[in-house]
Amino acid sequence: MELDLARQAQEGDESAFAEIVRRYSPRVFSVASRFFRQRSLVEEAAQEVFLKAFTQLGSFEGRGSMEGWLTRIATNTCLNMVRGAKRRPESTVSDLTEDEQSWLDQQSGDVGKQPSVEDSVVATDLADRLLAVLSPEDQQALLMIDGENASIKEVAEATGWSESKVKVRAFRARRKVREAMGKLLRRQGDK
Amino acid sequence: MKDKHIIEILDNASIASLSESELSEVQAHVRECVSCRSAYEASRLSTIVLKSRAQATTEPSPFFQTRVMAAWRERQAEESVPAMWRLWNSAKAVVSSMAVTTAALAVLSFVIPATPTADQTASALSAESVIMGQASDEQMSYEQVLSTIYEDEDEAR
Repeated sequence: MELDLARQAQEGDESAFAEIVRRYSPRVFSVASRFFRQRSLVEEAAQEVFLKAFTQLGSFEGRGSMEGWLTRIATNTCLNMVRGAKRRPESTVSDLTEDEQSWLDQQSGDVGKQPSVEDSVVATDLADRLLAVLSPEDQQALLMIDGENASIKEVAEATGWSESKVKVRAFRARRKVREAMGKLLRRQGDK
Repeated sequence: MKDKHIIEILDNASIASLSESELSEVQAHVRECVSCRSAYEASRLSTIVLKSRAQATTEPSPFFQTRVMAAWRERQAEESVPAMWRLWNSAKAVVSSMAVTTAALAVLSFVIPATPTADQTASALSAESVIMGQASDEQMSYEQVLSTIYEDEDEAR
């Protein structure tokens, strides 16, 4: 079924390609959102993913799912876009903002409390600052495994890396992020 | 576990993925080990912010599909222009050489007149002077004109 759709789109059937875009947009947006926060950047990346996928439709042989095939294209396209932006990992994380400080205090106290929308934004901003100490590849490994509960195998399939490479990346990323968070907490404790 | 630090466990896997027994052992250790306690707290908070970050996804807008299809059509159109350009490039050498040949032939045919040889010029002048000279005295017949020309040419040879 998916293979038929791919072949029809490859032969220039516009409605078949439109169906692929409609069906898999949520998945591609989900992948692009891991790399970018701004809607315009996520949309730009997602569009590029579909245009690239169209040129590579011949390589889809229907052995795996189209969603998995597109996830891999999306991950590699976004990684290339991030690398192209030449943003170097930051070696240090600046001090906590007031909002972040109060969020952390809250996490220590009300463990079971449901986070508000504002709390989620603060936590997401803090996550981005911590992730900035990592390379884009390490960020992906950590976000997928620790953030989305993906298995090592799933990350390997989505990225095309070997499972051992994924393990190394995740281990290294987890340690760096933990250390960065530890430094923030210590700095805050000293004040 | 009591005497073994837990840093490696924290770096090997997310706290959220630890089994209940592993987690209770880790928590028992951090109650007594100050350095592991701060590492555990940093790890726990890191996991929370990473989960929060993973949930921050952007949903596709209703116009996204239209936008992609428009970009797809545009790219298809762009790709067809270079195809024509490639065709022109391959034919360019043949067309250019044909144009040069045609221009050269035109120049040879219309711009540069046929140049007579020195002998032909001399005989023509000589014959002309005889014909013109006699014409002033009396009218020459066609045969006389021809014989005068041929005589001059024979002398020139």
